Amino acid sequence: MLATVTLNPAFDHLLLIPDINLGTFNRAKTTARMPGGKGINVASSLAILGNEVVATGLLGGQGCPVFEGALRKIGVTTNFIYVDQEIRTDFFIMEEGKRRQTLIVEKGNPIGLRYLNSFKANFERLLSSIDLVEIGGSLPSGVAPNFIKELVAAANKKNIDVVLNLPEDILQECAQGTKQFIVCPDLRENKNMFGKDIYDAAARLEIIKELRKKETEIIILKFGNLNYLVASKDEIWEGEIELSDYTVMIGVRDAFLAGFIHKYKEKESIGEALKYGLGAGRSAALNNRNHPKSKSEVEEFYLMAKARKVG
Amino acid sequence: MKKVKDFITRDLTSVTEDTPLKDVAELLSLRGVNGIPVVNMKNEVTGWISERDLITSIFPEKFQAENPDLIGFINLSKVVKKLTQVGEAMVKDHMIRTFHPVKEETLASDVADIMLQKNLKRIPVLRHKRLVGVVDRASLAHILLEEGSLD
Repeated sequence: MLATVTLNPAFDHLLLIPDINLGTFNRAKTTARMPGGKGINVASSLAILGNEVVATGLLGGQGCPVFEGALRKIGVTTNFIYVDQEIRTDFFIMEEGKRRQTLIVEKGNPIGLRYLNSFKANFERLLSSIDLVEIGGSLPSGVAPNFIKELVAAANKKNIDVVLNLPEDILQECAQGTKQFIVCPDLRENKNMFGKDIYDAAARLEIIKELRKKETEIIILKFGNLNYLVASKDEIWEGEIELSDYTVMIGVRDAFLAGFIHKYKEKESIGEALKYGLGAGRSAALNNRNHPKSKSEVEEFYLMAKARKVG
Repeated sequence: MKKVKDFITRDLTSVTEDTPLKDVAELLSLRGVNGIPVVNMKNEVTGWISERDLITSIFPEKFQAENPDLIGFINLSKVVKKLTQVGEAMVKDHMIRTFHPVKEETLASDVADIMLQKNLKRIPVLRHKRLVGVVDRASLAHILLEEGSLD
């Protein structure tokens, strides 16, 4: 069984609008509201791919039954700690006319210590029945990166594979002195790691070199909207999600990660796992949801995906 | 005939034997459910605690008396003292250790038998002693009626 941790989940609210007119009335042509957050997206995608997966984290307020119900409907087992505040909403505004996407993210309120303690105790119990845990997303206000590091250390203690899908600063702190199966830094805001530009090919190799010094089996870097680079201790592979039309890019990276985990856990090579991830990402991008449409579509796109060894 | 796996609620919300009763009361209220599994450190189910167990722990006389209506709570301070004691008590002091779990392969009709015979509203679903979800009367009724409508 697999598990994903999302301490700062949110509803992803998608608004498709021909063109936004700022400062006046706008009506969305299409809307969709779905459970979101990095770990949630990975859990949804893993479930679509047929894995038994538990989504855990902190959740609260009137939206909980809707949030959890939507996850269970696609096959995710829920195991959240309830907190005394509402679930955040992240707004994805897509202007079709301008082919432009805008993301507005709500900041959460501070989380009480008693809820964090409950979560940690629950997480430690969950470790007895899983073999991989993915920890993803931002942290709620007032939660220090060291809290995640404690979760990673607890998983390491039980020899459970850890996947870190975190913003660069949190990831750097958590990776110190712990062991990770996969690291997938979220560089959307910083666009660089260790001070090196993710869009520069030579700099990407430097980032990999730095990350290889840590106890990490696989490194995944995303650059641009569609490009992925995957590195093990011995190889580096690169690939691109093939999209002909302009699409909504919610959760595409998380779907990619889920696809990669799914295939790599089947003992496939990193090249094949990369292609499967590209298939999952493409399916999610065309789905207008934060997860792939179906396993069969992912398999179809996987067979069409192209990856090349670059090192 | 449908099986538990067709209408299970795959949720692992649970408490441990060391959880204070006041936290259980808060959880039941937030979740809008009437009972919850009790697990150990390996997520194995060791019992069940329900709203009835909580209320019984507050007003045991009401449940033991032949005619509970005759018992009043004249001494308010006694009741407040009792509530404080119960709030600080642990799940292990009031949980039910004889529970009636089912498996994912159990038939819906067998679940209905257990629920009616034992007067249960929610039942834990186990796999190798570990919690994988719960089934409740509403989902059972829904799946049975849905199946009936297909005939």
